[in-house]
Amino acid sequence: MKIIACIKPVPDPSSRLIINDSKTWIKEQELTFVASEADNYALEEALRLKEKHGGEVVVISLGGDGAAKVLRSGLATGADRAIHLLDDKFHGGDESGTAEAIAAAIRKDGGADLALAGIQSDDLGTGSTGVMLAEFLGWAHVTVVIAVDAKPETQTLTAKRELEAGLIETVEAGLPAVLTIQYGINQPRYASLKGIMAAKKKPFAVWNAADLGLSDAQVGAAGATYDVKEIFVPEKKSRVEIFGGSPEEAVSKLVEKLRKEAKVL
Amino acid sequence: MIFVIVEHRDNKLRPITNELLVFATRAGRDFNQPVTAVVLGSGVTSLVDELKTRKIDRIVVADNGALAEYSPDTYVHVLKGILDGEKPFLVAAGQSTQGLDFMPRLAAALRRPLIAGSVEYEKDGERLVLTRQVFNAKMNMKTIPRGDPPYLTTVSPGAFPGDEVEMGGNPQVVAVDVNLSGVPARRRVVERSEAAKGKADLTSAPIIVAGGRGLKQKENFSLIFELAEALGGAVGASRPVVDAEWLPREYQIGSSGQTVAPKLYFAVGISGAIQHLVGMQSARCIVAINKDSEAPIFKIAHYGIVDDLFKVVPALTKLVKDLKG
Repeated sequence: MKIIACIKPVPDPSSRLIINDSKTWIKEQELTFVASEADNYALEEALRLKEKHGGEVVVISLGGDGAAKVLRSGLATGADRAIHLLDDKFHGGDESGTAEAIAAAIRKDGGADLALAGIQSDDLGTGSTGVMLAEFLGWAHVTVVIAVDAKPETQTLTAKRELEAGLIETVEAGLPAVLTIQYGINQPRYASLKGIMAAKKKPFAVWNAADLGLSDAQVGAAGATYDVKEIFVPEKKSRVEIFGGSPEEAVSKLVEKLRKEAKVL
Repeated sequence: MIFVIVEHRDNKLRPITNELLVFATRAGRDFNQPVTAVVLGSGVTSLVDELKTRKIDRIVVADNGALAEYSPDTYVHVLKGILDGEKPFLVAAGQSTQGLDFMPRLAAALRRPLIAGSVEYEKDGERLVLTRQVFNAKMNMKTIPRGDPPYLTTVSPGAFPGDEVEMGGNPQVVAVDVNLSGVPARRRVVERSEAAKGKADLTSAPIIVAGGRGLKQKENFSLIFELAEALGGAVGASRPVVDAEWLPREYQIGSSGQTVAPKLYFAVGISGAIQHLVGMQSARCIVAINKDSEAPIFKIAHYGIVDDLFKVVPALTKLVKDLKG
């Protein structure tokens, strides 16, 4: 099977985020980028599917140096090849533009059996890019996946998806398909020293918008479907009211408030 | 027109549907747009009857045996047909495991904007501004959809109060014929099952009592279960509790667990790491019980008790039981 793992570079979760001067995004210059957490589960699942069924894992990422970094890390972890979508024109793109560029890259690379992505990213966190990718490719898709059983011989797969209220839905889908992978589906492995050394010799393609056959109007800020008016740190909803005294006094004041003021008991 | 895509399962409206109707009614008033509820399913008469009691303008119903089980392929096909004919201003669905499964596909198929995970809206001149949370809710982003309508949005659970849905309308019911021949059957449901026996439905529980590392050991979680039982609520946990295997993973609330928005949330012995806060900060009323007054949970809590939870929780359980008794 040929399996694509989509990896998004996002600021290291421990970094302090500073809003840029136009208030449309954060200042990216001095940040350290890492793979979005959910994408680590997607890559691990891709590697396990390859170990079971044979084939190759190709990691794809769109962005600047951060994308190159997460791709190298993906190769060190065990992916066979990397495709870096790199172009200044990609800057300011939205979910739809990113999905369209990845779809074009997968087509240019000769298609695939599966494309895996994390359920959502640690920056925009909308969970929509993977599903849009499926539409642009005309493939099946399954979201919130917690287990995958691929059957290449019949060109199908069975997947379990996690619904609300503790329900698990088992679905069957045809290949090729896009899966968005839920946190915790597996235990992602770490790159070994041997893997890091081997990664240096693995194929690493770099493609720009023209290579993908995409016009300037289709990509980046020009191709975005919405404008960002402003990003801001939301004001705290309320100031906490603390109840003191003995535990008995404190809980009785609390319950009084919950009943009379908040009206939630 | 503002379209609300009604979410239902097992012939019952999902809680998000009322939240979507509240959002649509408010936005509809501000933008002078009537509200239409769109129901896709099979044998949905009782759902339509329930929706008729809401103060909305119209209900569009696609009732067809082939829509008995939700599928993104049929949903996108049917909705695309309805939207092409009706040309609404805005289409809203839930940012739920169903909404996030078909809305991005619909947006890509229509090549129209999708603002996923909206928590608020505003009117900027005649333009619609939709706000969503980014960077794991550390920041908010105001967005303006480009081009001509329809604009699509998924609304985050808990962002609008479903219990404030307006009643007493007299909506017109319009049945639409659907032709599902030629729809690619890329995916089908094999079965649905419960994740684990006795698991509480945290996403629709009105009261949740969640415990964290402050409980010190597994056995002490009985304090949390006793308080939850007295309140008639469900039990949740922070990630360290699940990692330590005090409770199974399905109890976990936060970025790698469930996202909840109950009317009342007790955080007991939970410091309030951002990964936990993103999963519960939409709760209407948050009570924190923690002996560390500097714990970040107090920054988002409405009420707090800074004391030893091993004294406070039993006292609270006793008081709640006494009041009920």
